[in-house]
Amino acid sequence: MTMINNESSPENSPIDFPSAMARIGNDESFLYELLELYKMDFGAKIEGLQKAIDLKDFVSIQELGHSLKGASANLSLPFLQKAALNMECAGREKNLDKARGALATLGQEFRSLEEFLAMKG
Amino acid sequence: MIRVLIAEDDKLCRTILEKNLRKWDYEIISTEDGKEAWKVIQENNIQIAILDWIMPKMDGVELCQRIRGKKWDQYIYLIMLTVRNKQSDIRKGFAAGVDDYITKPFDTHELKARLQTGKRIIGLQNQLLDSQKKLQEIATHDTLTNLLNRYEILNILTDEFHRSLRENKPVSTVMLDIDFFKKINDSYGHDVGDEVLVEVASRLKGSLRRYDKVGRYGGDEFLAILPGCDLNNAKRIAERLRRIVCKDRIKTDAGQLFVTVSVGCVSSESQSHKSIEYLVKFSDKAMYHAKNMGRNCVIAS
Repeated sequence: MTMINNESSPENSPIDFPSAMARIGNDESFLYELLELYKMDFGAKIEGLQKAIDLKDFVSIQELGHSLKGASANLSLPFLQKAALNMECAGREKNLDKARGALATLGQEFRSLEEFLAMKG
Repeated sequence: MIRVLIAEDDKLCRTILEKNLRKWDYEIISTEDGKEAWKVIQENNIQIAILDWIMPKMDGVELCQRIRGKKWDQYIYLIMLTVRNKQSDIRKGFAAGVDDYITKPFDTHELKARLQTGKRIIGLQNQLLDSQKKLQEIATHDTLTNLLNRYEILNILTDEFHRSLRENKPVSTVMLDIDFFKKINDSYGHDVGDEVLVEVASRLKGSLRRYDKVGRYGGDEFLAILPGCDLNNAKRIAERLRRIVCKDRIKTDAGQLFVTVSVGCVSSESQSHKSIEYLVKFSDKAMYHAKNMGRNCVIAS
């Protein structure tokens, strides 16, 4: 039986810890506080995006994507940041399929982040 | 402590900024949109502002333009926080009046360094304002007595006189001259003479109403301006000034000296005193009349 290493390699990690820590002054408890804030805000934004996609409101799709992108970047969440960028572009390009794809990716990446944080304990 | 405005709609970014700035000993006011930020800037003494480019109600560029379009008591250093890093966007930001900008997600050390630059600029500006204030003081005040100098007291008299005409109210002038001042200088020296001038000036200044003005008109002459004051009240105030000068001896290096003033006063109520030149001339004449009447008295013209 082969032992599977459950730890994400640094390049696959949903969060770039060293970068995030440096940005917020190397205060780990504050980082976790911010991640909680991010998680709360994420839920509201995803709901907003679903509604915007249903209504074909491309302005809101772009704005919410932009906002998520910024928040993800601040906490060094590279995959969420990329998905949010795709959402922002989808809004700008008025591309509904792209927006739906980006929404699905955002959901997956968010779950990865939650699992990762749960493992770190 | 430098007061910094943070205008950022993203709660996460705003929280990170607030924590870092507090750690670096800045006083912070935070807002979530450009309109609120504009209100805060007008109502508070903001020295540095960190503005997000894209914000609800008013974006960062419009906010910069409004800030630069208004005159402020002191310069506000503007740092734009943005994801926009194209050359055209950078140029747009600087054209709007931004002093510096930092791209998101920002590096803390870079932000700290850029804020330090802002602090230096603010410091230089404060030094300049202080120097200007000191120069202004020197230009308008007598260096010995710290009263208004002749030039400035006459400027003020011009303003008060025209105001009195507009408002149809009188303005009075009181001219005071220290009695036997030449004798004080000759007997005790100019240093003692200066001590007497300083003390007389202080007593006069301390005895006037809040809105009256007094200046050193000549070597040992003082001119007081009493807005809204008719002749009866002018005589009363003049008498108060005379008594305050001679009431207590003046302490000098030559001992305690008894000093008096001769006082002349005039009001613009009278038709013949309806000009600045006449007010000065007749209060001066009245003062000389007081000298002839034995000194240490008040004569009203």
